[in-house]
Amino acid sequence: MGVLNIHNLCKSFGGTSVINDFSLEVTELTLCCLVGPNGAGKTTTMDLITGRQKPTSGQILLRSDEITSLGEHEIARLGIGRKFQVPAVFRDLSVRQNLEVAYSREVSPFKNLFSYRPSGLNQKLEEILTITGLGGRVETEAGTLSHGETQWLEIGMVLMQNPEILLLDEPVAGMTEGEIEKTVGILNELKRTHTLIVVEHDMAFVREIADVVTVMHMGALLAQGSISEMEANPKVREVYLGDPED
Amino acid sequence: MTNLYHNRSAQWIVYALMFAFLAAIPLITNDSFLLNQFATYGVYGMLAVSISLSWGFGGILNLGQGIAFGLGAYGMGMTMQMQSQDPVSNPIPPFMLNNSLDHLPALWSPFQNTALGFILSLAVPTIFYVFFGSLMFRARVSGPFIAIMTLAMLTALYTLILDMQPYTNGANGIAPPAPLKLLGAEIDPYSVASYWIVYGALLFVTVASKLITQSKFGLVTQALRSDPERVRFLGYNVASYETIVYALSGLIAALAGCCLVMLVQYVSPAQLDVNFSIGMVIWAGIGGRFSLIGSMLGAFLIQGGQSYLGDQFLATWLLLLGGFFILVVRFLPKGLAGLLELSLGMIGAHMQPKDASRPQRGAEATSKAEA
Repeated sequence: MGVLNIHNLCKSFGGTSVINDFSLEVTELTLCCLVGPNGAGKTTTMDLITGRQKPTSGQILLRSDEITSLGEHEIARLGIGRKFQVPAVFRDLSVRQNLEVAYSREVSPFKNLFSYRPSGLNQKLEEILTITGLGGRVETEAGTLSHGETQWLEIGMVLMQNPEILLLDEPVAGMTEGEIEKTVGILNELKRTHTLIVVEHDMAFVREIADVVTVMHMGALLAQGSISEMEANPKVREVYLGDPED
Repeated sequence: MTNLYHNRSAQWIVYALMFAFLAAIPLITNDSFLLNQFATYGVYGMLAVSISLSWGFGGILNLGQGIAFGLGAYGMGMTMQMQSQDPVSNPIPPFMLNNSLDHLPALWSPFQNTALGFILSLAVPTIFYVFFGSLMFRARVSGPFIAIMTLAMLTALYTLILDMQPYTNGANGIAPPAPLKLLGAEIDPYSVASYWIVYGALLFVTVASKLITQSKFGLVTQALRSDPERVRFLGYNVASYETIVYALSGLIAALAGCCLVMLVQYVSPAQLDVNFSIGMVIWAGIGGRFSLIGSMLGAFLIQGGQSYLGDQFLATWLLLLGGFFILVVRFLPKGLAGLLELSLGMIGAHMQPKDASRPQRGAEATSKAEA
């Protein structure tokens, strides 16, 4: 049994079915890439896992605990961190403050009223700054970071939460070649200690990082396997990768 | 990138200087009218701090701060009124007799005890804010809708108080015949003692609020102000953070209400007037809602202006104020405190033209252009 198990997940909006009997098992300490054409339901799947939306039917289990009906903050506390498609950082706070907010070991508002220097913060901060390479930018207002730096900052924020599972929605969208290369390095490093689910369109990037590729189509699982298996799979080629002419 | 504005020690020094200045006022003047007026400004200062806390730091645009302010004021008014009533021979305030009540309403009886009266004056508004706030924030009401709901609640409460003539004396309000008695001593509203009481309250409120904004709690509220969704995904229960910051701001406003009634010995539905609550938001908007002291100075500036210039300009004063507010919102979204932040930032940048991160940033700028 995997660390995250999705059983027969369905989600419909009004009468439109977006996720259709989707099941997935994510093995611990692997990086699973979720790919598929636009509207395949990748981001919706992420929303359902993290509690942003509630499934119409089906189950999501973290190890053996059901998390389907929990709120976003409760799921986050159980160790599932999420990076959004559009980088969501606190633009008017500094990089350091962004990371400090994300250090959510203590979430009680009453305890936090009297907390100024949470224990272990500085050590964690140093660690994350090293991983993301934002060391020189700690005092910068997050709104003035470049696009790539913003993406790294958000990955850093998710890591500050100390999650077991990271969900990353298009982490390299809009990045330059050099920035993508750096991100590949970060993710391959994270893979050793975390379970990752990455939604991505950039197949070159997927090839660099993925242990398992899951292809979704019309809200359902189309195929799953290694990147080379997927690239050879005729169904996948038809709906997603396209024939060699394009 | 060092900006003196963001230096915590520098901030505390500015706060200390301001409170030293306020402490010097009773040493300079012993004009009792002036002291009473300055003490009233202290009440406005507390209200401005409460708005800065909820709107500036919590992102809750609260147009109904008169709810807590008014409830606190009525609580104090009732306490002071009951101090003048003899529990045995004369337990019923005169206005109730005029409204043909023949016994003291249950609503009023706890206020026969001064200590209980104080506690209720602060606790009732705070608990009300906790309930009303959690109702709104759990339903994820945000932005302008909070403004509308708080405004509607304020108007409802205003009408309620106006309507409950036998219990509240309606539009006439409650005018306790004697000043507040505290531990056996009468606190003359025009005395230095009442100035110091308000000073103490303002000092306490400001220091406590400042500490809150610097705590982890304050950081989380500043984060949820711009992106509550993100904060939720970091594991925080956003609704409870919002409810607490809203309730704390209500507690401060209630304390301000108590202080005001001590100073003017009168409470009426005017304390729950919509214009007054919107006025508080204007103080914070002009002074700078992201800065507690900025909001407070905004309150002093505008209320001072109203007292001294308002007489000369009469109705034009409101026009001037409105125009000024529009200018500030348009050109200084962070208010006058933002202007200070900007100038200190420029001075800081001028004094250290090159810092360590500069060369790196050039490279990133090009990569951004490529992206």
